[in-house]
Amino acid sequence: MITFDNVTKRYPGSIDAISNVSFSIEQGELVYVTGHSGAGKSTLLKLMAAIERPTNGTVLINNQNVSKLKEATLPFIRRKFGLIFQDHKLLYDRNCFQNVALPLAINGITGQEAAKRIRAALDKVGLLGREKSMPITLSGGEQQRLAIARAVVSKPAILIADEPTGNLDKNYAADILTLFKAFQQVGVTVIIATHDALGRADVENQSPNEKMESQTISHENTQPESKVLHLNHGKLTSTNISEVIV
Amino acid sequence: MKIWLTHHAQALRLVLSRFKKNKLSTLLICLSIGVTLALPSVAYIVLDNLNGLVSSVKSESKISVFLTEKHDKALVTSIEKTLKQNPAIQQVTYVSKEDALEQLAAIDANKSILDSLQGNPLPDAFFIEPKLLEANSIDALKNDLSKLEGVETVLVDGTWIKRLNSMLLLGKKILIILASLLGFALVAVIGNTIRMQILTQSAEIELSQLIGATKSFIRRPFLYVGGLYGFGGGVLALLITWLMILFLNQTIQTIANSYQSDFNLHFLSFDEFLVILIISIALGWLSAYFSLTSSAKKT
Repeated sequence: MITFDNVTKRYPGSIDAISNVSFSIEQGELVYVTGHSGAGKSTLLKLMAAIERPTNGTVLINNQNVSKLKEATLPFIRRKFGLIFQDHKLLYDRNCFQNVALPLAINGITGQEAAKRIRAALDKVGLLGREKSMPITLSGGEQQRLAIARAVVSKPAILIADEPTGNLDKNYAADILTLFKAFQQVGVTVIIATHDALGRADVENQSPNEKMESQTISHENTQPESKVLHLNHGKLTSTNISEVIV
Repeated sequence: MKIWLTHHAQALRLVLSRFKKNKLSTLLICLSIGVTLALPSVAYIVLDNLNGLVSSVKSESKISVFLTEKHDKALVTSIEKTLKQNPAIQQVTYVSKEDALEQLAAIDANKSILDSLQGNPLPDAFFIEPKLLEANSIDALKNDLSKLEGVETVLVDGTWIKRLNSMLLLGKKILIILASLLGFALVAVIGNTIRMQILTQSAEIELSQLIGATKSFIRRPFLYVGGLYGFGGGVLALLITWLMILFLNQTIQTIANSYQSDFNLHFLSFDEFLVILIISIALGWLSAYFSLTSSAKKT
């Protein structure tokens, strides 16, 4: 689905945000991208979602080489993803329903068909009763769930979440994680960047040596297809070997 | 095709709902466009009407060709022939000196003067109506005529028409300058308004780009905003122009009546109406286009 081959991303005037990263992600996997802040997690996600192009190397998304695609076709690649941003990026000038409507509008879906899908998405995240509420009136966890509803409304094959639980307390974080797992169970590839909130802290505590990161995930809810990509200063220190833990 | 239509309908609906939300500011922008466009429109109407007035007094403009005192009938006929063949001449009338004297004598007040004269001091003359009223062509014609054999003097009456024509030309030039300057001002005003809107919606634009909106999806609503501002402004401009003409016509008719004329300002023809509307829409659209392009460069 997504294949990185020796990918390097350098922003002008800075060191490599990502250097020589290779891995691949298959359909239906649950992937954690870990690493401390500044390790290049967000950059990696942006490269996956065709928001950024690599400086070097190849990024294949559904067998399409992102660096070789024309600028004008990138938006269509991006529509394959459901994105959940670190800062939600909710639009505060419109209600929940209208927030979730935006991706559909971009795809040219409006009217009854759109309304049906928006309500289904809101229902999945448990916000069906709040469709007329303004995002500012929602709690932090509810805002995150609204952002998830917006990400899944156009039924993407890949869900990418950047620190989805970063600002939430443990209970909310567990809620959100359960939600992602539910999506994975119906065949959606889920990619989550996190520093610790999903129980990843345990893993990092177990192996303080970041150069050779353990691939095990000791979280009890972890799905069999889980995989960890651990980044350290832009380098992938944990290669993409799936470790099956039940 | 269907998706294309959906996208346009979507953009239009979005823009109209935004207008609804900001009724007052939308009205104010349209009004400022309307007032700006109404100015050159009224000036155009006044000039156009004056032009019509000048053409209607065309027949009053004549060139008088006076012949030398000594000449024979053959010369008169040959001159008449040349004049009739001249393409710049509309109509030629010959008045012999006897006829001229008779015409003079027909007016009572002239009798005492004529009595004191011995013989007939009047020359034979041709009265010519030129085809074109432009100062240049009349001058050229005058030159040609004075070179003819047997012609003593050529007088152009109605030099005031010549002057009026030049003044009208000047007026037209001023109008063009005024209209283009105001056009630039409009592009600046509309462009700035749309730039502000782009700024206030930067969050939405950024998000849309991230989740796969195409460039045209993002630009389309703003182009519609520009076009619709132009349309609204154009309609208001025509309305304002119409009211101004109505208002001016009351006074103009009073003045015209005192000159036994039924002159008044005509409103724009349908074609001109359409042209103003299209120019207005085009200006709005272009301003949106420019501000989108300049905003896109910065991000």
